[in-house]
Amino acid sequence: MSTAPIHAANPEELREVRFDAAMESQIAELLTHYPIPRAALLPVLWLCQKRYGWIAPGVMEAVAARLGLSPAYVQGVVTFYTMFHTTPPARFVLQVCTTLSCAVCGAGELLAHLRKRLGIGPGERTPDGTFQIVGVQCLGACGSAPVVQVNDDYYENLDPAKLDALLDELAAAKE
Amino acid sequence: MPKLTIDGREVEVAQGTNLIEAARLAGIAIPYFCYHPYLSVVGQCRICLVEIEGQPRLAIACATPAADGMVVRSQTSSRVREAREAVMEFLLANHPLDCPVCDQAGECLLQDHSMDEQGGQFSTHMVETRRTFPGLERRLLGPHVVQNQNRCIHCSRCIRFTQEISETSQLTYVSRGNHAYIDTFDGRPFDDPFSACAADVCPVGALTLREFRFRKRAWKLRSTPSICPGCSIGCNLWIDHHERIVYRFTPRENPKINATWLCDYGRFLAESLNAHGPAPTFRDEDGSSSSPPLEETVRALALELKAARTLRVVASANLSNEELFLAREIFAGYLHGELVTPVWPGEPRRMKNGHGVWLASSDAHPNANGARRLGLDIVDESGLARFLYGAADLTVLLDPLAHPYLAGEEALQLLRVGHTLVFSQRQHAVCEFARWTMGVASLACNEGTFTSGADQVQRFQAAFAPPRGALPLWQWFTLLARELGLARLAVATPRDVFQLMVSQERSFAGLAWEELGGFDTDSYREHQHVG
Ligand code: SF4
Ligand code: FES
Ligand code: FES
Repeated sequence: MSTAPIHAANPEELREVRFDAAMESQIAELLTHYPIPRAALLPVLWLCQKRYGWIAPGVMEAVAARLGLSPAYVQGVVTFYTMFHTTPPARFVLQVCTTLSCAVCGAGELLAHLRKRLGIGPGERTPDGTFQIVGVQCLGACGSAPVVQVNDDYYENLDPAKLDALLDELAAAKE
Repeated sequence: MPKLTIDGREVEVAQGTNLIEAARLAGIAIPYFCYHPYLSVVGQCRICLVEIEGQPRLAIACATPAADGMVVRSQTSSRVREAREAVMEFLLANHPLDCPVCDQAGECLLQDHSMDEQGGQFSTHMVETRRTFPGLERRLLGPHVVQNQNRCIHCSRCIRFTQEISETSQLTYVSRGNHAYIDTFDGRPFDDPFSACAADVCPVGALTLREFRFRKRAWKLRSTPSICPGCSIGCNLWIDHHERIVYRFTPRENPKINATWLCDYGRFLAESLNAHGPAPTFRDEDGSSSSPPLEETVRALALELKAARTLRVVASANLSNEELFLAREIFAGYLHGELVTPVWPGEPRRMKNGHGVWLASSDAHPNANGARRLGLDIVDESGLARFLYGAADLTVLLDPLAHPYLAGEEALQLLRVGHTLVFSQRQHAVCEFARWTMGVASLACNEGTFTSGADQVQRFQAAFAPPRGALPLWQWFTLLARELGLARLAVATPRDVFQLMVSQERSFAGLAWEELGGFDTDSYREHQHVG
């Protein structure tokens, strides 16, 4: 089973966000796990990222209103974590770990290979919107370095050949 | 009450006092950046490290409550000195060190502590180029606050101010660590009604005020204690001035009223203190005008006042207690005029005191309660209109800014009937046709007391002498009193007037002039701008 692509809502749709009944009930459920609404901020943001693909300013405002926080406060939290997308992401976000274990086990090689095959490096995306590369810190999977996280899934013990197979599979997965 | 020793000095403090405040009481200054006496303690900057006997690690003074028997070393510990030097080096690693062109210079905690903790000996291990924030070096965050992110030391005081005090939570860090910068949500304007306080609490030149920056070097300014003239709350402030020009208001600490805050509205009234009245003018029936010398003016005024068969006087809740008292004694008491004091609520203003309680304004004047205490006849807009519709052959306006109604067409029409004498601090439509216009020096040249909305009588001092031709209103009144032969009122200072009030007015009995300042007891004063 391969990783599902991200469907990023377009910015127009997220200009003003109103949570539908499904979102509302999930948020209400999340809130029951925490003593104060503010404590539910991260899980609610994850929920939103799953739903909309990224956290647009309109989403931050809706979350802020729902949890009784200021939009600036929510923005502070969203931008603190590199895992939250504040712009529409590509369908597959390749988070390449560049920390020590991965670095010595070939992260550099993976990045070079990605550059050769996709023509992009960390912080960039392919023009067709299929791939995006982010250089990240330790993913906590050093035992199976080098590691690349694609959307929510880990791909471990990679080498250029395995990476090629993975990219082929992802590109084919289309919608 | 814990008793502890700091750098060999013993001090007893209230339960819960942190080591920075305990040291302050012992006369020892422990440096701090992120700590602020009226904000939450976050322990971010680490400059306040001290050594505590019996504890192997240095502790941050801001987050350590004083305990009985504690032995604390600050300046007397070499470990502390080394640690602070290292913290300074760290904070300065990415700082632009642009003090010569930075408007915070002279009142910058980073500059001060750099001198104190590094002995002015700057050294760095940094070989990399400095981190900068292109595009954020000169950004207008809102109507008043200018940001230079390169200078920010990430103390989060400004953010906490908007979260904890003004409660707008408009500011945040965007991004993290080395890359974090101060921003508003989605680039919206930082239009918090207390926005300028963010620049006050910013310990460095990262946030400065559009209205003040580059107008005067901080070390040239002299500060005179005064009271905000903007509303009835009575916030305590400093008039910062140089060579008889007012440059700004800064908050003066008063835990009961304004802690260390001012609202933007009140703060930016500072500029209005630079007007000291139109030139004294006499306008004759035929429209010709002249500016007679002071003695002649006072003499002529006295004659006009005495000659008037029906005299009516519009006082103002912007006047000091002393001025209102003199006005009542002279115009109502001696001259048997009819005297009213217009009061209007104005825009609602609010202020959070040092105990976290919001105070609300009741009037748009600093001294409506003074007028009430003196038993003056208070009128609202319709009362004022009725008063002006009544016939009188002489009307005296003690302050045309007493009520916005006085600038309206209707009032101006009514005032054109009969003669009008006007005392004015600023140019006003009435001055264009008044028979006499007397220039009144601004609050910056005045001395006296206001009675706040919560009924505290608070004293303000004069920053400098008025320019030629203008006099503070109390002085016009005492000169008139002398001319009218009222020796009792022809006193020399506002303090003398106050003594008269204390002995004569039940509502002022028992008050002592010396005790009404608040400024003599202020513990934060050496550190004038509390960061
Ligand atoms: S802008 Fe000033 S107050 Fe705000 S975090 Fe930076 S240094 Fe602190
Ligand atoms: S260093 Fe890459 S997973 Fe830990
Ligand atoms: S003042 Fe104590 S850590 Fe900043």
